[in-house]
Amino acid sequence: MEEIAGTELAIEKKEQAVLELADFDEVVRVYRPRILRFLLSSLTDRDAAETLTQECFLKAWNARAQFRGDSSLSTWLTRIAVNLMRDHLRSRSLRFWQKTRGAALDVMDISDWVPDGRTTPESAVLARDQVALVWKAVDELSAQQRSVFVLRFVDEMELEEIAETIGMNLSTVKSHLYRALAILRERMGGKK
Amino acid sequence: MKIRKEAEMENEAESMLTSSQEMRDLAEALSLYRSAIQHVAEKQAARPLAMDRKPAPSFRMRLVMVPALAAALAVAVIVPAVSHLHGHRGITAAKVVDVTPQTPTTTVAQVDDTQLMNQIDSDLTEDVPDALQPLADMGDQTATAKSSETEKK
Repeated sequence: MEEIAGTELAIEKKEQAVLELADFDEVVRVYRPRILRFLLSSLTDRDAAETLTQECFLKAWNARAQFRGDSSLSTWLTRIAVNLMRDHLRSRSLRFWQKTRGAALDVMDISDWVPDGRTTPESAVLARDQVALVWKAVDELSAQQRSVFVLRFVDEMELEEIAETIGMNLSTVKSHLYRALAILRERMGGKK
Repeated sequence: MKIRKEAEMENEAESMLTSSQEMRDLAEALSLYRSAIQHVAEKQAARPLAMDRKPAPSFRMRLVMVPALAAALAVAVIVPAVSHLHGHRGITAAKVVDVTPQTPTTTVAQVDDTQLMNQIDSDLTEDVPDALQPLADMGDQTATAKSSETEKK
């Protein structure tokens, strides 16, 4: 009985996801900030992140007939974004003469950011310093470590969802996350 | 022995406290990082789309280079194809043009040949005397002489 109910629920979820895709303008409106956030924090390049976000939705639109709702729409879109980012990084590494990034995002971009719950200017400065440390540490991570890190700590995905999105084993995801955190702890002045 | 165990336990507790403090700091830093990234992403999302803005040099280059290369490629492919097609048509037209006057030329040549053959034939018949022509001429001359004699008489 429970099995039938579970199957029905799964079918209902699939139908809902497919239905959600029907209104593509709404899909773009809802998921664009999320995809942009992921690409922005992974690539730290505004133009590349913006372009890949657009390409991601273009690809999703073209492949919308293939979406069966086996995963959530968010996971599906993030998977497209991850693949696009992989291609982008591959092509960028081929263009070895291109030393500078188009519109690099740096710590200065958070100068106008006011952290929640920080009432005094000192505590706000302290918070910015902490973010700057994390920022630098994230910049040192490998592309895969960064993707896993961003999906976990920025997009707050579950490890299983990350594994599904990136197309990795759960143990590999855990390993990347462990290494990323080890680097972060080291930069934050803690133990490795 | 007992003192040693107590010291170990104290160290362990201290390291646990340190690690839990460290974990709290780390969690806080990550939370702040998430908030900062969200702020940056929101700011970016609020900006007009990349197409409306002045693109970065690399993208500007791509925007210029890609259509330029596509145009060059199109020219490289289309122009020879068109010229080949045009040339082919020209040849066909020339052939048609050539063929049209060729018909009378051939007729003319045929006529000429016939005329020439007739001419040669006639010339031959005229210039080259028949084997008995000299006798005939002599006969003629004898006949003429005889008739003149008769007239004299």
